[in-house]
Amino acid sequence: MSDYVKYSSMSEGDNFLDPLPSFEVTQQCVDKYIKSTNDETQQLSVHDEQGNKVAPPMLAAVYVIDALRTRVGPPGGIHAKQRFKFHRPAYIGETLSTSAQVLKLYERKGRHYVEMTTETRNQEGELITSGMITRIWGKEA
Amino acid sequence: MTQLQAYAGYSVGDQLDEIVQSVDQSMINAYADASGDINPLHIDPDFAKTTFFGRTIAHGLLTLAFVSRVLSAWNWQGWAYGGDLNVSFLGPVYPGDTVRVSGEIDSIEKREGAVYARCQIVCHCDDRTVVKGFAICNITTKETK
Repeated sequence: MSDYVKYSSMSEGDNFLDPLPSFEVTQQCVDKYIKSTNDETQQLSVHDEQGNKVAPPMLAAVYVIDALRTRVGPPGGIHAKQRFKFHRPAYIGETLSTSAQVLKLYERKGRHYVEMTTETRNQEGELITSGMITRIWGKEA
Repeated sequence: MTQLQAYAGYSVGDQLDEIVQSVDQSMINAYADASGDINPLHIDPDFAKTTFFGRTIAHGLLTLAFVSRVLSAWNWQGWAYGGDLNVSFLGPVYPGDTVRVSGEIDSIEKREGAVYARCQIVCHCDDRTVVKGFAICNITTKETK
């Protein structure tokens, strides 16, 4: 049995993640992300008007990919397109859950493409980020 | 929906402040560690040699982190609270590359009681375009410019 998701095992409309994985937004993971991306955005080092410490919007790259990693494709797959809609930044201390649905499966120039929509909500069910990811599936052994 | 040429100090044709960021394998490794994306294509030179690219490449989402820095500096409020990014990855960023992220407002529109600017976003490594797309941000409440 392979330790990755096979292209042929997916169908359009599938809920890709079941159960929904969760991700805790910690100061440590945000600091690590900010350092690795050289992000010196001033608003990330202060509290907002409501007293929340916000994470960079693109931390979505971490919590969405973390969620998708629970069901990975073969090694060597790459990102072709990405859409993110940031409803608001995640706050440090929140717990996020990401759902994903297979939107479209297609083949082009001998490569398999997988389009998925994602939706990330906090522990109260508030929508934080929605997105669409197109991945070129890695070659299966 | 109404198309505008300018609104509150923003105009069609405005250039966003560029950033230039060099990328090396240690940065890619640090991003892999921070993001948890440990696809061997990014961090394992031996595996990467067996792929189409022939060597490791940076995560596409690392390049988008640079895009986010440009948009955050341009209009934090509009970007972080309702921003919409839609991009295609057109080519790889290799260790040793320098990524230049630029943007330009190509339209401003008023709809549903708010005003939005659409910015064309392009990332280049020398003369190669590696990411292209657009971002839409609410500019009704302007915090920074």
